[in-house]
Parts: sequence; C-alpha cells; structure tokens
Amino acid sequence: MIPNRSEYLKQQALQGQKIMGVLPALYPKELLWAFDILPAEIWDPPGDIVKANRHLQTTICPIVKQSLEFILTEPGIVNAGYLFPHTCDSLQNLGSQVKDMIGVPVPVYTFYNPKGNFNKATRAYYGDILNEFLQVLADVHGPPDIEKLRAACELGLKIDGRRIELQQARMTDRLSLNSQQYFQLIRAAEFMQPVDYLYLLNQVEIQDEPLKSHAIRFLISGILPPNDMTLSFLDDLGIGIVAEDLLAGSRRIPIATLDPPADPIEYLTDRFFLLPPCSTKAGSLDHRQQYLKKLASDSKAQAVLFNIVKFCEPELFDHRSLVKSLKNEGLPVLSLETELLPGLSGQTQTRIEAIVEMMGDEVLA
Amino acid sequence: MSNALFAGVDVGSLSTDVVLIDSAGATRAEVVFPTGINGAEAAQKAYDLALEQGGISRDQIKAVIATGYGRAAVAFASGKTTEISCHGVGAHHLFPDTGTVIDIGGQDSKVIQVDGRGRMLDFSMNDKCAAGTGRFLEVMAAQLEMNLNELSDPRHVSGESVQISSTCTVFAESEVISLLAKHTPREQIINGLQRSIVNRIWSMVISIGIQGEITITGGVAKNKGLVTVLEEKLGMHLNVPDNPQTVGALGAAHIAQRGFKDE
Ligand SMILES: Nc1ncnc2c1ncn2[C@@H]1O[C@H](COP(=O)(O)OP(=O)(O)OP(=O)(O)O)[C@@H](O)[C@H]1O
Ligand code: SF4
Ligand SMILES: [Mg+2]
Repeated sequence: MIPNRSEYLKQQALQGQKIMGVLPALYPKELLWAFDILPAEIWDPPGDIVKANRHLQTTICPIVKQSLEFILTEPGIVNAGYLFPHTCDSLQNLGSQVKDMIGVPVPVYTFYNPKGNFNKATRAYYGDILNEFLQVLADVHGPPDIEKLRAACELGLKIDGRRIELQQARMTDRLSLNSQQYFQLIRAAEFMQPVDYLYLLNQVEIQDEPLKSHAIRFLISGILPPNDMTLSFLDDLGIGIVAEDLLAGSRRIPIATLDPPADPIEYLTDRFFLLPPCSTKAGSLDHRQQYLKKLASDSKAQAVLFNIVKFCEPELFDHRSLVKSLKNEGLPVLSLETELLPGLSGQTQTRIEAIVEMMGDEVLA
Repeated sequence: MSNALFAGVDVGSLSTDVVLIDSAGATRAEVVFPTGINGAEAAQKAYDLALEQGGISRDQIKAVIATGYGRAAVAFASGKTTEISCHGVGAHHLFPDTGTVIDIGGQDSKVIQVDGRGRMLDFSMNDKCAAGTGRFLEVMAAQLEMNLNELSDPRHVSGESVQISSTCTVFAESEVISLLAKHTPREQIINGLQRSIVNRIWSMVISIGIQGEITITGGVAKNKGLVTVLEEKLGMHLNVPDNPQTVGALGAAHIAQRGFKDE
C-alpha cells in the first residue's frame, strides 16, 4: 500500500516533476507545493558512507553523514535544489559546505527557523522568513499564485487533521497497524505528493472500539523511529509503541488543528508556533518535560524509549534531564543509541528484554 | 518436592557458567567453562559437567533458565531471562542487603539497582565497544606481556599512576605501546588502566545512583586491583562473591525455581 521511496521519486522525476531535496526537519512544505515542487526529504538514506567521510569529522551524526553521501551520489532525482532548514549546527554547516565548497548542480537554499523561547518578535521574524523564502522561490519559479498557496495550506491542514486523528487512534488502540506499519505510514510523508499522501492516510481504518490492548505500552522519543528489525522485535515482544515524540513524526504536526487559512503566511506562522516542543527548537526544557509527561499519561504509556541518534547534540543536550524527570514520575526509561544501521545487536535486545522484565513480576517468574 | 533441582545456564561472551541448586536454594554444582566460538555447544558441555559434578541425573532438574548473550542458543532451557535480571537475583541471594550490583564481564558491564527481593529497579549498560569491560583488560594484559592474575595484583594500584586518556580499547592500546616505549614503569601503566576502567564504571554508577550495599559480579570482580580502586572511588566497601563469574547462573537457577510450579 505504501510506495517504495526511491521508486516513487524516480517515477515522479520521469514525469517531469520538480523535486527539491530537503534536509530535516521543519520547513514550510506548503510554499513548495504552491510552486508545484515536491519536497523529497533526506533523513537516513541507506547505503555505505564512503565519499562523505572525506568532508566530515568522525563525531558528526549519521544523519548528516548519510545525507551528504546521498548528495554526493545523487541518482538524478533532485532537480529543483536542496533546502537546508536550520535544525542544528551540524546541518547548517553541511548546508554551507554543500553550497560553498562541495558544489552541486542545483541551487542550495537555507531556512533559518527561529530558536529559543518564542514571543511576539519571533513570530514577526518567522513571518519575515516565510515571505523571504517565497520571494526566493518566486525568483526562480515565477510569481506565486496566492490561490494555489491557499489551496496548498488547505491540503496541509487536511493532512494535519488526519494525522492528529491517527495519533489519537493509536493512543487509544483503535488502529490495527503494528509499529513497523505505523511508522512506514508516518514516514511516507517525507516523499509523497500531498494528495497521494492524504489518500493513503484516509485509507487507514480507525476502529470504533478499542482493539485488544498491547501487553506493554511504550512512548518513544527521539529523531527517528528505530529500524525495522528493532520495531519487529518490539512487536514480537508484545510492546506497542502507542505514542511518539519523534522529529520525523509528531513533532512536525501541530498540537491542534487550525482554522482554514485566510492569509496563508499568517496560517503558516500560527502552525509553526503550534508545533510540539522539540530539542532542535531549543525551547524551554521544562516545557518538553511537561509535554512528554502528558503524552505518556494520555497514551497510558508504561515506559519511555529514547531512540538517540549518535552524536545528535540537540537531543543529547536535553536527554539526561528528561530521563531524570520521567523516572521521577515512576516511568521506566530505556535509552538506545543508534547509528542508523540496519540490524539489531544482542546488547540492544538485552536492554529491551531487561526493561520488560523490570516492568513485570509475571515476566520474571 | 525436596528432590527437585533447578539449573541456571549463563552463556557469556567469554565464560559459560552453570549453577544447579536444590529446592532449599543450596548450590549443588557450579561450573565455569570457556564459551569459545559455539555457545550452544559450550552450554551443553558445561551443563553435563555440572550434572556430573553434583552426581545428578538429568530428570532431577525441573527447570532450566538460560541467560547471557547466548541465552537463545540453549536448546535444553525451559525459559530465558536477561543476565541483567539474573545478576540482580544472584547477588541478592549471596548478599541480601545488596541494593546495587556492578557486573563486569568480558564484553558488557552493567550497573543494576535491585529492591529487597532482588528485583531489578533500574539498570545501565555499556555501549557496543569494549571500553570498561574485561576484554579491555585482556587486550592490555597481552600488550604488557603478563597474565590477568599479575595484572590484577592490588600492589600495582597503590603507587604512582599514569593518565590513560582514552577509554577506547584501540586508542588505549596504542597509548600503552607508546608508554612502554618511553620506559614508563609497568605498574604505573597498570594503575592508569585500572583507573580508566573504574572511571568508566563510575560514570555508569552515578547515572543510576547507588542504594544499599554494592555487590560486584562477573569475572572482573576477581581483579583485586580494580576492586581496590573502585572501592576508593566510591568510598564504599564492595561485596565480592567467592565465585563472581557464576552469579548470573545462580540468579538464573533461582528464577527457574521461582517460576517452577509443582504439579
Ligand atoms: N583470575 C582473574 N583475574 C582477573 N580478571 C579475571 C580473572 N578471570 C576472569 N577475569 C576477567 O573476567 C572477564 C570475563 O568475565 P565473565 O566470565 O563474567 O564474562 P562473560 O559473562 O563471559 O561476559 P559477558 O557477560 O560480557 O558476556 C575476563 O575478560 C577477565 O577480564
Ligand atoms: S540527528 Fe541531531 S545532529 Fe543530526 S542532523 Fe538531526 S538534529 Fe542535527
Ligand atoms: Mg556475564
């Protein structure tokens, strides 16, 4: 049901679709859609890292390494440029390297999301950078069609709405997808045409009544979900990931639906400031703590799993305090470090099984 | 049901350990066997040896719990449990006031918090690399051309020490090579190595916190020099079992007994 990412994008490119390679994570998709550009996000393209290592330090996160490897060996799909949102210093540096030193045959754009605690000034700033980006795109792709932009926002709104419904359904056991299927669905947003994606989301059935609850309920937090082998190991153990706080997932969906857009820039600004707290926005840690606690309690999660990308500074910065505050709430916490490689190590299996044993007398017996 | 016996089989990366207990919880046989390249085979051999040692027939064993990284390969086990739970339970049986267990084996080190029944409350485990494990010490012993017993001598940790700045096995090994080339006294290097492992363990300990008495398990607990430095660093006495390598298997045997329902 969910198309293969590279096949889908190849097909799109063959049909003459304008495709922009976008690095994680927060950027105004709707602006690109309004110019008929399909954003194809680059998070964790598979494959060995060969060429990228020449340009990067060893202590750079694997997302940055894998993205650069992808850029250096790009199979001719990306034709409308690359976009580097300011997610973290590593990605920002990568953006400047690709633009100024490495050089690519397409334009390189940056998008400087506001950071820190938000106020009136950051709101104004965000409106400004949206307008600037709109202008930058207009310089290459012709003047913006405001009706098209409004339609793009409306489509985005529908997608957000359905995503929120699905998240709710997941938390209340009304989706029959296992974790692997659920995250495939979520991550299809990274490359699909919005119309196709909305159709896909609408195909997923939400049950009226809760299905049999998972033996063990986990909340997951981090940048990306664990790899497929780890997810199916969790599924096999009866662990259901009932809620997620992932940058590749719910941190990109507003916490509530908005009204239909009258002014698209206003709408996109409102939307940005309704996104859940995230380490890459460098907001208040307290806010993140409260948010995670609430998510755990709303989803009746019995434990929290942090899936930490190795060397990811923003996440590691918050990690220790978050673990401490969740443990203080009596929630068992498991932290796994990932280098985004396929497979599942014996140590990771042991850690996962151990937390399950820790949580239940019956499991130990 | 006094005839019933229970087995714990711990297939670790270096040693495969078997403990047989009776229904009163007394140890009836205890074996430490090298794991080698085939965990399943080592488990079978160690188990046979334990049965022989105790003069016990196979059908007297009512339940077998397998643990350790090779737990899934133990075909004759009736169940499996992680070594993290097993070390907690085993340490609690030997030292009932244990609140914290430090298990340092060949490839993994773990810090486990347990409650008054030996049940795990929290744990922390090292990452993939060999830093802070027995394997690290073995590599260094080879480099220093000595055996583990010599390396473990507590006299080496009382004097001066060099600073080993890297906890990574590969980097630390090259540091040792260059220190040897500079004719740095061996005991100073050993002292530095023991301290570097202890620092690594210490950071795991503080990440989950200390409670109750601390019991150290796993083969590295036989390393007296390291235990001395760790006690110094923690400012606490450590309980050291007579046979630290079999604590996981002992815990597994107790879990086997607990789970066994008399028909
Ligand atoms: N006599 C000794 N003196 C000092 N250290 C020793 C001695 N015997 C064993 N060790 C240490 O114990 C380590 C092996 O410990 P153990 O048998 O508990 O490991 P394991 O359970 O097989 O490994 P893991 O739990 O990591 O899979 C060796 O690497 C060595 O450093
Ligand atoms: S994983 Fe972390 S460090 Fe890497 S690109 Fe993402 S936010 Fe930046
Ligand atoms: Mg062991």
